[in-house]
Amino acid sequence: MSAMDPTEVFRQEASELFEVLEGALLDLGQRPDDRELVDSAFRALHTIKGSGAMFGFDKVASFTHEFETAFDRVRKGEIKPTQELISVALAAKDYIRALIEDPQSTDDIIGEAILDDLKRFVSADRSDAPVVEIAEAASLAPAGSKQAGWHLYLEFESHILRNGSNPLDLLEDLCKLGPCFVVPVTDGVPFLDEMEPEDCYLKWDVKLHAACDKDAIDDVFMFVQDELKLTLSPLEHVEPPAPAPLFQLLDEEPGPMAETPVPPVELPAAPVADQPVAKSEPKSEPRPEPKPEAKREERGIATVRVQAERLDELMDRVGELVIAQARLTQLAASGSDLSIKMIAEEIERLASSLRDTTIGARMVPIGSLFGRFRRLVHDLSRDLSKPVEFVTTGEDTELDKTMIECLADPLVHLIRNAIDHGIEDTATRAANGKAEQGRIELAAVHSGAQVLVTVKDNGGGLNTARIRAKAEEQGLIAAGAVLTDHEIHQFLFHPGFSTAQTISALSGRGVGMDVVKRTIENMRGTIDLSTRPGQGTTVTLRLPLTLAIIEGLLIRVGEGRYIIPLSAVEECVELTAEDERSRGRNFLNVRGNLVPFLRLREIMSSSGSPDKHQKTIIISTGESRVGLVADQIIGNHQTVIKSLSKLHSDVTIFSGATILGDGTAALILDVAQLVSLAQSKVEKQHINEAA
Amino acid sequence: MNGNLDSEHQSGAMQVVMIGLGEEKFALDAGLVREIIDPVPVTKVAGARAFVPSVINVRGNVIPLADLRIRFGMPQLDDSADTRIVVIELDFDGEPVLVGLTADKVYEVTEIAQTDVQQTPRVGMHWKPEFIRFIAKWREEFVIVPNMERILN
Repeated sequence: MSAMDPTEVFRQEASELFEVLEGALLDLGQRPDDRELVDSAFRALHTIKGSGAMFGFDKVASFTHEFETAFDRVRKGEIKPTQELISVALAAKDYIRALIEDPQSTDDIIGEAILDDLKRFVSADRSDAPVVEIAEAASLAPAGSKQAGWHLYLEFESHILRNGSNPLDLLEDLCKLGPCFVVPVTDGVPFLDEMEPEDCYLKWDVKLHAACDKDAIDDVFMFVQDELKLTLSPLEHVEPPAPAPLFQLLDEEPGPMAETPVPPVELPAAPVADQPVAKSEPKSEPRPEPKPEAKREERGIATVRVQAERLDELMDRVGELVIAQARLTQLAASGSDLSIKMIAEEIERLASSLRDTTIGARMVPIGSLFGRFRRLVHDLSRDLSKPVEFVTTGEDTELDKTMIECLADPLVHLIRNAIDHGIEDTATRAANGKAEQGRIELAAVHSGAQVLVTVKDNGGGLNTARIRAKAEEQGLIAAGAVLTDHEIHQFLFHPGFSTAQTISALSGRGVGMDVVKRTIENMRGTIDLSTRPGQGTTVTLRLPLTLAIIEGLLIRVGEGRYIIPLSAVEECVELTAEDERSRGRNFLNVRGNLVPFLRLREIMSSSGSPDKHQKTIIISTGESRVGLVADQIIGNHQTVIKSLSKLHSDVTIFSGATILGDGTAALILDVAQLVSLAQSKVEKQHINEAA
Repeated sequence: MNGNLDSEHQSGAMQVVMIGLGEEKFALDAGLVREIIDPVPVTKVAGARAFVPSVINVRGNVIPLADLRIRFGMPQLDDSADTRIVVIELDFDGEPVLVGLTADKVYEVTEIAQTDVQQTPRVGMHWKPEFIRFIAKWREEFVIVPNMERILN
């Protein structure tokens, strides 16, 4: 267990890199001019190649190398990333992924075909290349200038550092004019014992690949003119400037460097200069400073891989700690020992911040999931030739990791449906006066203790009449039955229900919707459809933050204590004697509104006699407000949710359990289920009465 | 752990925890048993099946408390000084599930030899045969080795 399989590590790392690569490629499709994206795609490729070779994935390494070579022209800015090129690049990415994850399933021929495609696109665009270059050059230099750059030789007065000037800052400024190739000249560096720590011994040889004016260069050195011997000569016949940042040239690609004549002192120079005096160290580093920062940004936030089970375990332990702490607080409050009270408070504070951190550790921004769908939309939109704009919002909405995993499949169904059936084809859209490009919005937002995930398209909307006809045909409803549109739409969630006249390979609206519904309900969430003819459909998933610790209202019913999620609670009122006596009508009058109520004592079949003054907790679920009658409202309770075991999976009115301060377990009421259970009971009663 | 129990009982001895329910003695695979604890306050679960009427807190885990007496149609006795909760771990659909069992008495951990194992008779029992793995003889008494997975499913 302790020794992790290194190839497994590589696979995990690669899968993250693929996400980066795919994201960059897809973004590149929209912003072809963004150099950052090309670079980040290239870096991902490069790392995959490197670690692939290291872990013995030779095929991966060689294929990626070819891919990289072809893509290099894009990086050099010689060709623009076209949609076709990006599609092929995506295919290549998939191929590499297959090579890593399931090498048996791949075939060299596919790889070669992809590479051929890639090369074809890359070379077909060669004719465009000069155009791009000229455009780029034009942005840098005044038109007509034949100057390719400057060759600078910098020799500072040795006392320059004492005046507070830093040659490195100047070099950095110089680099802002254009790509620079800086080589320190270390001839003047004396032996250690002769060295004056505050003197500058280094000289620099700089090739500036930018056709800027001489004035611009003079400006850089304006303040050190007197202390600087600057030799300036125009560069002739040089390689086209590589647009990549300098550090990359030095770090990774010895190729382009070799083409520039370089003094032999070049690389060994740096360490030599490094050693003599610690203080002069920055001088010996001729590369532009931004390098480390840039690298750091690329890496993003450092992450640690932890097995999900360990996090579960940690969460359990923290839950226990919170419970133990609650008992300690109780005990401390009952005594009079001030120092114990202080410790109890301290522990309470620590426990609650530890709890928050632990919950946070399990939370993953939903953006990681959304990212996957961009590819789906891209491919579907291409396959169906329906241009679709895919917009995501609320990517940073955090959900428990396991929830995110469970959400993936339902969302794939919904997005497929939206593109395949929601968005009309281009001709229909044009005929209806809509923009040619369809639009799919995927959004996530926190709403109280719930997360709402919506998939919204601006397509044709649901065809209520057709759904109805189909439902009648399948015998789900009697012909002519009076149903609201909302009720009719629910048939879409019926297993095997599809109104698609032609069932495509992708989806038939309705196929899979029952699966979606089941998955969401298994997560104790709800699914809601709303549609406006001609304007589109919105599917809203309401998901609870199940795992997390919730704020609950602790109540007592008979002997038992229960938790109502505070997010569902609207208000608490006392049941009047009149309401209490009534058996026929279970309605409350809350400021003029009729609110039905349920007697929890009946539902929980409590024994003993009810308390004299019954309390009603008004809860809201969906659109309905319902009162729950309890014996006593105990108060707020920080509720660590523990799921009920499989042996109790048939009990729907509880969404879980928690442990109270005294160590007993209390059940958490699932208010939505409770209300629907009560509703179905009432309906049955009515049917019985009618019979 | 419980995968090799069958082979164990074929090859010879099988470790069991002997518990008493009402007048009967049951032998639980020692491999299933995680711990034996004193009775703790129980929380009734409304609407649950009768043989898993409640949940308990066992060191931070809320686990179901099953009552085999209900499954075997025995009268439920009030908790006595001898009452214990035996926590066992079962495998449901590939997931380990902890379940507490109320035992009127826990006798001892012992071994039953293979020679003591008897086939479940087809007649003369008012219990469902599928609840019983086999019957063994222990100190001149017949003890039931229950099939916990079946009983709780």
